[in-house]
Amino acid sequence: MDANNEQYERYKRQVPLPGFGKEGQEKLSRAKVLVVGAGGLGCPVIQYLAAAGIGTIGIIDGDRVELSNLHRQVLYAMDDIGHLKAAVAAGKVRKVNPQIDCREYPFIITNKNALALIGDYDIVVDCTDNFVSRYILADACRLLDKPLVFAAVFQFEGQVAVFNMPAANGQKSSYRDLFPEPPDAASAPDCNIAGVLGVLPGIIGMLQATEVIKIITSIGETLSGKLLNYDIRSLNNIIIELDRRKQQTGPVTREEFESMDYEWFCGSSSIPGIDKVALTEMLAIPNTIAIDVREMNESPEASFPHRRIPLSAFNQLPDLSGFDNIIVFCQGGTRSVKAAGMLKEKQGTEINIFHLLGGLTAYNQD
Amino acid sequence: MAVKIEAFGQLSEITGKAFVVDVRDTDQLTSVLRDKYHALTNIKYLLAVNRKLVTGNIQLDATDTIALLPPYSGG
Repeated sequence: MDANNEQYERYKRQVPLPGFGKEGQEKLSRAKVLVVGAGGLGCPVIQYLAAAGIGTIGIIDGDRVELSNLHRQVLYAMDDIGHLKAAVAAGKVRKVNPQIDCREYPFIITNKNALALIGDYDIVVDCTDNFVSRYILADACRLLDKPLVFAAVFQFEGQVAVFNMPAANGQKSSYRDLFPEPPDAASAPDCNIAGVLGVLPGIIGMLQATEVIKIITSIGETLSGKLLNYDIRSLNNIIIELDRRKQQTGPVTREEFESMDYEWFCGSSSIPGIDKVALTEMLAIPNTIAIDVREMNESPEASFPHRRIPLSAFNQLPDLSGFDNIIVFCQGGTRSVKAAGMLKEKQGTEINIFHLLGGLTAYNQD
Repeated sequence: MAVKIEAFGQLSEITGKAFVVDVRDTDQLTSVLRDKYHALTNIKYLLAVNRKLVTGNIQLDATDTIALLPPYSGG
């Protein structure tokens, strides 16, 4: 059988679909999709994208297959235990569909490697299992304006969304519009702690693969600007329409992104963020102080009462024990999280510590 | 007025899946919930009124349905 004939045979059950055709198949074969995480969500995503004929599939995962993975990560078998997931998954893709250019990246995504990796692909699929990777992906894809097909699961429920693609109202949303900051790890436990029914990531991952195919072939209506919550216990699903938050958080430049400490950011989420209205109210309370942690050469000066202690000088903080409330702020709301965490470490729980969401940029927007 | 609330994910373990709260706007709703369920204090969640994400404070109507969705991390 020659190559063209084989292609015809392979895809002849999906090519006749309305709106699909040879053109749809060609779009899939030209597409480059990066799957981040080859676990519960990643397995069905990788399998179905490979079967459908996505031309280039990248697989990022630094983990090795474990016995406890097999109840939901159905791409793997007993003799894969101990092997790198990225390599095993890529091997299976090549077996199913040798035409595919499958690239394996057996390491974790970081804010140092993300931009270079993502830059090579058309669509990114978030199949990760932790907030550090999720915020890195969300911020990187937003910076590069790259479509991100997001999903996450908890016990019997899953969430799916498509970010950085224009919704019906023309707006693009990001994971930061849903959750500007990560929750405490304790309040959003992962599968290892909370448990997960094996079929759940299978279903949710297949929804992700479906969204990828819909984006590439322009079939149907994607979840751009929407969040789907799927509950396998009741099959009661709801779709929430998203909105861009007025106060945008997260890095706005490549430099800011690459210098962020995401591990720290995601572990430090016990610092409550406040907005302009709450800040104004709080400043009227006695024994409350706002601290600008930008470096001394940064301007303009904030228009409300404050004191300047640059983040670089936080190793020798003055005595702040007389205050009941401290609000830390910076330009964009990133450094203030770090500063607030350092303050909290030093002051303990004696003082209430907050940070200004979105920093002075958001404060001066209205 | 009494509005219908539906909680998702780990939130439903704290508040129950569906319940009714007597409030006039979304700010009052979050503060009533915080007072009633102490475990919610440190939990981040998004609030949707009639299936639309709400980020500011809005007035509520007796016919409104409200969804509370926390972030999930599993994959």
